Amino acid sequence: MHDTDTDKRDRELLALLGAYPAPEPDEGFYERALARATHVGSRRQRNRWLAAGFGSALAAGLALWMIAGAFLGNPDLPQTDAPIPGITMALEEPRTVNLVFSSAAALERATLTVSLPDGVELAGFPGQREISWQTSLDAGKNVLPLTLIALTPAGGELTARLEHEHRNRTFRVRVNIG
Amino acid sequence: MSTAENSLAFERIVRPHFDRLYRLAWRLAGNKAEAEDLFQDLLVKAYGKLDELVELDDPGSWLARVMYNLFVDGARHRKRQRLRFVEEGSLPGEGLAGLPGPDDPHYDSRRIEQLGRLDAALKQLSDEHRTVVLLHDTEGYKINEIETLTGIPAGTIKSRLHRARARLREILTADGTLS
Repeated sequence: MHDTDTDKRDRELLALLGAYPAPEPDEGFYERALARATHVGSRRQRNRWLAAGFGSALAAGLALWMIAGAFLGNPDLPQTDAPIPGITMALEEPRTVNLVFSSAAALERATLTVSLPDGVELAGFPGQREISWQTSLDAGKNVLPLTLIALTPAGGELTARLEHEHRNRTFRVRVNIG
Repeated sequence: MSTAENSLAFERIVRPHFDRLYRLAWRLAGNKAEAEDLFQDLLVKAYGKLDELVELDDPGSWLARVMYNLFVDGARHRKRQRLRFVEEGSLPGEGLAGLPGPDDPHYDSRRIEQLGRLDAALKQLSDEHRTVVLLHDTEGYKINEIETLTGIPAGTIKSRLHRARARLREILTADGTLS
């Protein structure tokens, strides 16, 4: 049989798709889910946009990690004097930036607002310049992965503003399009 | 039956399907938080229909179909929200977190890079195309199983599968992942 380039690519693609992983649930997840389902009044209280897998060496290989210390439990720590970190990304090529928020204590109902520079979009949210949502933070490091796509070469500054009660912090990332 | 007996009966029916349902939730939702919420919602709903569940010959298929419908309903609701939430899995990379790291003897940097590119390419597909290709080519569902699960005609599923593969092939050839 004639083996075309397309046939070969199809085989490669199917092999890749076959190897595409799905993670295992956290230990005890099934038991917790069962318990919640079978107990009256149990309601999910989950809004876990924060990835649990911080420290993954693979993720470090896939994405640029931007460490943004929130330290909301310690308002005396300097924030604004830190140099603004930057990333360089190619036009129309998705790039993942992981924002890491360190919190001294667990925070409930914090509000996070991400503002994007002109010409840069968040994957899955075409045309939206500002995205805001409420979430909870665990004590320690919390990771927010953002996949950005540059549609124009302008670049600019991305800001992520974290608000909790009367406190807030804004983190800035310079986005350069190279 | 008492509450305890109901719980035991429920667990006996649903637990054998947990791993497959968890993976299905992942493939539908694409992120851990939403997948786990979907899984949880399914169990809550299924427990409320325990009387119906105990009578089924194939509870696994029933559970998968209910999960799919919950996902579709949830997606409609999210589209109506003025303020959209960032979902971790709409962002590439997270699903790969379980792969070996550089310290692992099974670490294969080239393979992991390829999977990262596949991950990013999958995000460029429509939800419909991505779901079909992941269920069929990654999870091994047959066309008729996807038809039963989703209620979408087999012809439409085949068409979506063909287009999804073609688009992935195009993206991954352009970036050098495929030869």
